[in-house]
Amino acid sequence: MKLFYAPEGRLRLTMEDRSHLDVVPAWAAPRTHPDRYLSLLDSKGKEILMLERLEDAGADNVEVLRQELRRRYLYSQVRRVNAVRMEFGATYWSVETDRGHRDFVTQSLQENAQWIDEEFLLLIDVEGNHYQVKPVSALDPDSLRRLRSVV
Amino acid sequence: MQTASLTPGGASAPEIPLIDVTSDLDEDGLYGVRRLVVTATEVTVSTPTGVPTCRIALSDIAKARHDPLVSGGRMIVTLKNGVIIPVVNYSLAVSEKFSEVARGIEQLSQGEELSIDMHDELKRCPKCDRLLPEKDGPCPVCVNRSKTLWRIFGFLKPYSRATTMLVAGSVCTTALNLIPPYIQKQLVDGFTSKSLETSGLLQWMALWLGLALAGSGLQIFNGRLMTYLATHISKDLRASTYRAIEYLSMKYFDRKPVGAIASRVTQDTDRVWHFLVDGFPFFITNSLMALGVIGFLFSIDAVLAAAILVPIPFILLISVRYWKPISNMFFKVSQRMARLHMQLNESLSGIRVVKAFVSEDREFKRFDERNKAWQQAAMQADQKWYTAFGMMTFAASLGALINWTVGGMFVLQGRLTLGEFIMVNSLLIMVYGPMQWFAQVNNWFSRAMAGAERIFEVMDMTPESNRELERTLDIRGDVTFDAVRFGYDKSNPVLKNMSFDVKAGEMIGFVGRSGAGKSSTINLICRFYEPDGGRILVDGVPLNEINIANYRSQIGIVLQEPFLFNGTIAENIAYGKPDASLEEIMVAARAANAHDFIVSKPDGYDSIVGERGVQLSGGEKQRISIARAILHNPRILILDEATSSVDVETERQIQEAIGRLVEGRTTFAIAHRLSTLRNANRLIVLERGEIVEMGTHEELMQRRGVFCNLVETQRAVTEIIGVGN
Ligand SMILES: Nc1ncnc2c1ncn2[C@@H]1O[C@H](COP(=O)(O)OP(=O)(O)O)[C@@H](O)[C@H]1O
Ligand SMILES: [Mg+2]
Repeated sequence: MKLFYAPEGRLRLTMEDRSHLDVVPAWAAPRTHPDRYLSLLDSKGKEILMLERLEDAGADNVEVLRQELRRRYLYSQVRRVNAVRMEFGATYWSVETDRGHRDFVTQSLQENAQWIDEEFLLLIDVEGNHYQVKPVSALDPDSLRRLRSVV
Repeated sequence: MQTASLTPGGASAPEIPLIDVTSDLDEDGLYGVRRLVVTATEVTVSTPTGVPTCRIALSDIAKARHDPLVSGGRMIVTLKNGVIIPVVNYSLAVSEKFSEVARGIEQLSQGEELSIDMHDELKRCPKCDRLLPEKDGPCPVCVNRSKTLWRIFGFLKPYSRATTMLVAGSVCTTALNLIPPYIQKQLVDGFTSKSLETSGLLQWMALWLGLALAGSGLQIFNGRLMTYLATHISKDLRASTYRAIEYLSMKYFDRKPVGAIASRVTQDTDRVWHFLVDGFPFFITNSLMALGVIGFLFSIDAVLAAAILVPIPFILLISVRYWKPISNMFFKVSQRMARLHMQLNESLSGIRVVKAFVSEDREFKRFDERNKAWQQAAMQADQKWYTAFGMMTFAASLGALINWTVGGMFVLQGRLTLGEFIMVNSLLIMVYGPMQWFAQVNNWFSRAMAGAERIFEVMDMTPESNRELERTLDIRGDVTFDAVRFGYDKSNPVLKNMSFDVKAGEMIGFVGRSGAGKSSTINLICRFYEPDGGRILVDGVPLNEINIANYRSQIGIVLQEPFLFNGTIAENIAYGKPDASLEEIMVAARAANAHDFIVSKPDGYDSIVGERGVQLSGGEKQRISIARAILHNPRILILDEATSSVDVETERQIQEAIGRLVEGRTTFAIAHRLSTLRNANRLIVLERGEIVEMGTHEELMQRRGVFCNLVETQRAVTEIIGVGN
């Protein structure tokens, strides 16, 4: 198989016998298995094949896939927590992420701060945007203290 | 709401922006600002410093669309030469807006009039600039607390006489309470100066007894009055909350679990009630008392009074210092209780499934987790409160120490008589006693406010529109969809540009794979949801101009999962027409082929169906719900997979009943088994929210398109099943 952009901006998957245009990579279970089971869908949403690991796509294709995934999954990774404040059930965050600075609000942390595992905290803001804290222990002590004060 | 509407290339100069929006992601997916401007001639995306990152002439554009991504989206433009260009990225915060913009660009590029909904949502609180939890919603921090309090008291309005009496009673109680310490002073001074005779003592004591009697009488009266008021207000509050919830649109019910909604009606109103019964009267009487006593103290000896009251500012300071965190904690407690309710509600409603999958332990674990979470929050809140309380008790006990020190010295110096000292001591207890409980008031108050805010939040949500419209309509039954677009959330369209015309009395079948949008179409016909674009007309009148209650009263629905209320069969059939006689009910039941099975039950029409109708079989429930629709005598009838869950013989009976029901009414039917739609005048075939074919059964079969395909697949499957049997 070969993955490439042709024409520009449109992901194409070519296998021995056929070629699919506008291929969409989709994680099967992005929360519980964030880097396993990647499904490649055709433009109609039908699965073409499933990769158990990204690397199974072959060295040539991994980069293209990474690029496309980064474009599709607009999650961000929290690197620093500048401030957290909880007032009347709403929590106000100010964080630095791999995509830059961001302020957001989460409501009822019981539902919107999910511990996927010991080291993986998922925050979902009121609009549904995802912010991943992973691994949690890699945060600096100040950030960690702020985080612990609410979750 | 503002709707942009301008003709491209018209009077407007080419450089005037028709659309001007800001995204929150840059080309590389980093957080940053990109401004997208559409003029009559081109689309430009630029950085905050004005450097363009993308520029496309409108005349080159063939298509523009919003491409939903995870946690955001991007706008994609297809040029006339087939080239696809990603224009701009954005997070979910603005994706609804950009999906509208994409439509706008497409309209402009095709020379159409620009008509999109570019309502500017409020994202931050205009007062404190905090992000708002819900766009255009209330700011939980700035929501005016005194306003909330006034609103609670607004519920007192119908009881203004009782309220006035209560206040007057409280003032009297305060005044009465101030007299006994004065009597004590007179007595003690009389004892020490030996000037008091036995008869004088008895007179004083008679007065004291009289005061005690009057005081207690007044207290009983006040207490009863307060209870009268508080229970009435609590009832009114609950009723208004329920009413407000009933009128909310279906979108609200999609988002919020039933248990969480229910807890607003019960728990949160309870908190307000407690405050009104326990907190508020306590606060009023004791504030009055404190003021009276302080005045009295100053009239005796200003220096001593000032000295005694020194700890009071500290008590107030502690209250203020702890107020915020403690009320936050109580908010958390009430949220956790709501979650516990939700869990309870869900697992009990699904108890059959729970038992069938032997997952009692798992459900218990989930329940227990939430229960523990509540315990944690409640414990932390109460413990924090007791810490604050202990500190206040200490500050209060300082008052007595000061009095014995300073007042004692004054007595030794002869500046104060012993009687006056005793009086001050009694008065002191009257100020400091309640003072420590002011923190408790605070606690009640915080809980009540948190509850009240959740209640008012619901009351302030906009109810379904058109409840108050005057216009009513006796429906004939013509239904028109004119370019209707709809999505449960706006950036993800479920129905796209749907148009069809139905004549009164026609039977229309909707066909399509599961998820194609059949039920969604029906939801729109029932006006459970509003279309995002286009119009729905009934008898030529736009649906949003007709009173919604009037309209719905002429619609009947039979769903795949019929919902019966706990009550008798007769009551359930008569749900849409509660004053129906038993004869009418039986006529409807006969027409629904339900009469025979009903009368063969020991209690006949008076049989109790159980919660959700658990005591009946699926086919029985279905026929009762059909009888309900028949009795309702609707002009427009909707059958959503009404026969999918029953066996073939029951289906035949139901089909027969439906056959009678559809006569003379506009009917929309969805059926899984395509053969059951044979009677339909026309079929509408949906695929991914779009109409792909429309026509009679024969026409569609001849066309050998999507429908024909579906029929053949189904036939093949049926045959396979047949062989397997
Ligand atoms: N209440 C809802 N909230 C969000 N999405 C919904 C809701 N109901 C249905 N959908 C989605 O809308 C699409 C169309 O559903 P529906 O109209 O129920 O299809 P069907 O043709 O099977 O009746 C599906 O993708 C479904 O997942
Ligand atoms: Mg359906």
